[in-house]
Amino acid sequence: MPDTTTAERAGFSADSGSRRSERLRLFTEPVVVLAILGAVLVWAFTGDLDDIEAREINAANILTLTWQHVQITLAVTAIVLLVAIPLGILVTRPWAKGVAPIVLGIANMGQAAPALGLLVLFFLLTQQTGFWVAVIPIAFYALLPVLRNTMVGLQQVDQSLLEAGRGIGMSRFTVLRRIEFPLAVPLMLAGLRTSLVLAVGSATLAFFIGGGGLGELIDVGYKLRRTSVLVVGAVLSAALALLVDWLGGLAEQLLGPKGLR
Amino acid sequence: MNWLSDFGSFVAGRWEQLLFDSYLHVSAVVQCVVIATVVGMLLGVAVYRSPFGSAVATAVTSAILTIPSFALFGLLIPVLGLGVPPTVTVLVLYALLPIVRNTIVGLASVDSSVTDAARGIGMSRFGVLTRVELRLAWPAVLTGIRVSTQMLMGILAIAAYAKGPGLGNQIITGLSRVGSANATNAAVAGTVAIVILALVLDAVYVLIGRLTTSRGIRV
Amino acid sequence: MSETNTAPKPGGESDRATSGVEIRLENVTKQYGGQRHPAVDSVTMTIPAGETVVFVGPSGCGKTTTMKMINRLIEPTSGRITVGGQDVLRLNPDELRRGIGYAIQQVGLLPHLTVSQNVGLVPGLIGWDKSRIAERTEEMLDLVGLDPAEYRDRFPKQLSGGQQQRVGVARALAADPPVLLMDEPFGAVDPITRGNLQDELMRLQEEMGKTIVFVTHDFDEAVKLGDRIAVLGYQSKILQYDTPEAILANPADETVAGFVGAGAALKQLTLRRVRDIELEQLPTATAGEEPAAFAARLGGRRGAVGLVLDERGRPLRWVTRRDLDRSGSLATAGRPVEDSVDRASTLQDALEALLTADAGYAVVTRSRGQYAGVVGLDSLMGTIRALREQYEDEDGTPDGRPGDGPGGSDGGSGAAHA
Repeated sequence: MPDTTTAERAGFSADSGSRRSERLRLFTEPVVVLAILGAVLVWAFTGDLDDIEAREINAANILTLTWQHVQITLAVTAIVLLVAIPLGILVTRPWAKGVAPIVLGIANMGQAAPALGLLVLFFLLTQQTGFWVAVIPIAFYALLPVLRNTMVGLQQVDQSLLEAGRGIGMSRFTVLRRIEFPLAVPLMLAGLRTSLVLAVGSATLAFFIGGGGLGELIDVGYKLRRTSVLVVGAVLSAALALLVDWLGGLAEQLLGPKGLR
Repeated sequence: MNWLSDFGSFVAGRWEQLLFDSYLHVSAVVQCVVIATVVGMLLGVAVYRSPFGSAVATAVTSAILTIPSFALFGLLIPVLGLGVPPTVTVLVLYALLPIVRNTIVGLASVDSSVTDAARGIGMSRFGVLTRVELRLAWPAVLTGIRVSTQMLMGILAIAAYAKGPGLGNQIITGLSRVGSANATNAAVAGTVAIVILALVLDAVYVLIGRLTTSRGIRV
Repeated sequence: MSETNTAPKPGGESDRATSGVEIRLENVTKQYGGQRHPAVDSVTMTIPAGETVVFVGPSGCGKTTTMKMINRLIEPTSGRITVGGQDVLRLNPDELRRGIGYAIQQVGLLPHLTVSQNVGLVPGLIGWDKSRIAERTEEMLDLVGLDPAEYRDRFPKQLSGGQQQRVGVARALAADPPVLLMDEPFGAVDPITRGNLQDELMRLQEEMGKTIVFVTHDFDEAVKLGDRIAVLGYQSKILQYDTPEAILANPADETVAGFVGAGAALKQLTLRRVRDIELEQLPTATAGEEPAAFAARLGGRRGAVGLVLDERGRPLRWVTRRDLDRSGSLATAGRPVEDSVDRASTLQDALEALLTADAGYAVVTRSRGQYAGVVGLDSLMGTIRALREQYEDEDGTPDGRPGDGPGGSDGGSGAAHA
């Protein structure tokens, strides 16, 4: 994991920016999360459930909603990776110098906008409901961290390395593939982790426009005044977010180039 | 063009309501940021000398930030009810990480030769903290405050779901009136207003930064 | 200033192998858009195969730009560059660069690759198979003085600056390119390490005979490494292009003289060896002889000095006529010989020995320490005078051609070359 750069600290980031606290989270977080999750589920399943609660709190429903939530998160992440990384690479090429601030500006606006507003607007404008209507605005919302970190990661690569690469006969593409990209990977991973957290979080709002996910449990529990349903939904989505973030942290530790650690 | 004039008349017709929601939105965010700044800086000052304490503080606040805001609202409703109490709690909790993290980083990066010199000329421990360390760490803390503010502007929109104040109500209204003429107008007004206000607040922070940062350390 | 013949190596003592090729620049110009004056203005020069040519000049003079046009990291605006007779502008730039070694001040080792992966980069680019790359990598690490077993799997950040630069040189040489471009490669390391790296490079070059273009702003480094030095001025204008001896003896103009700096004559002495000049002989005696007999041989001249040798002919003591008159034994007369030089020492070493001995001479010994002769102040001054005359023609300007064997045996005779 790279040291926190100013660019990283100046934006929203799930990264705590400290190695020690990262290690602390890496070891204690899954244990704490799984313990709380287990306790809440046992409490919910063993309590006296009325008809409404029984309809919501059962293995099949919970698994379906969790799976929907995971699917939204995965789809968002896939779109973010497929759009943000190539875009980040494109706008950092020397001939695209003028475009970079514009692209970054648009992505910045995307994140300054409230996720709920983007979801609702996209739904109202398309007049559609369902999975993709939720995924697309969330992807736009979660694009910035990966895009910004890809750009910063590529820009911070030492010019003398690029010159050395060109000097020993690497083509521009080889320099990108073998020097710039691997050196930018740690920052990209940090951005990906932040995007993942944004994606899981925003996915709890997907139910507003019929996209499903664990937000539905929270909504049902709130509207029908069933605290158990509300708590199960909230704890499950929180646990999912923390675990996804944990996986992101693990990826940062394991996937970065060895010589940089 | 047609839609634009339609939107214009919508805004003109609900000008007072929009202005009031905007005021509530900004006011709630700013008040929560102030609370979070006090709490976050106290927390940062309390732990920055201990590596373990710093690690725990950042780990816990970053775990809070990871929890989806809608889930946190959900968890607090049974405890705190609806409206202002859960809204303020959620906003303050979310604002903590950037402020705590940047306070710790800012204080830790103050050159020890500077604090040694301050001690050397006879400043008390408290004097060194308030007159030297916090002054030098302030730009970093302010950056944290900026990031928190941006974040809260968006998160507060969700509070409307739990009867909270602010522009989120326009978005929820738009959603609940699907098909009616003004549904999209309300949602656009709410979303765009939040973006604009967030940008305005950011500009205000730049100004505050220039006014409150010693010219000696300004970049 | 251009010279077109591939003359015999100046100052070369050994017939080292030449694996390098000739580089020619013809009216090479680099004009950047939006700037009134070209960065490099119509440079023409020939870099002979197998020689080390050092571009030296103040920062911003265009020396690096000129070098980078050879491997087309910078594209010339006009002019022609050939490497080994091939026009580089007609080659694919990437393939061209794979055939030219390149080492820079920042080293530019890829931090995410191990030492051996870094060294194996270029062989990998030109498609060598894995076992051959591995073999070559070991060989190169050995060559630059790094134990492969120890350093192979390290990452660059686990090496010192000097070690990194060694790996950088190994990487530049890995694919055995005929030409090596070096851009202030030793500029960022401490003076002691720099000296070691320079010695190492000279040793390597002795074995390899590559054509090396070396850019530096340190004139002493240029004198030490260069077979020839090109002193460049603004817009890469060639102020003087000649052997270090010639430039030191006779700077072309005041700018060059300023760049050569103070102590040019002393620097010249580092370029000459004791074996290059004729030794003087002093009267000698062995330790067992009678002082009176030796005194008779020394003669009555005031200040006459003799040497006492041991039974194997090694110098023991300096004696004067007065010492002999006062002493009963040659083994204790006069002062001990504390310092001596051998025939491979530089004349600067000889000067040092001469100044520390009271006698006004430096003793020169053969391989086993036997007395061979002495170097006196007069012969040192004669050498410097001869050098100066050798690189001067009638109107006092230096001629551009390299000397015809200034390292020859006529060093002390002072014959200006025809």
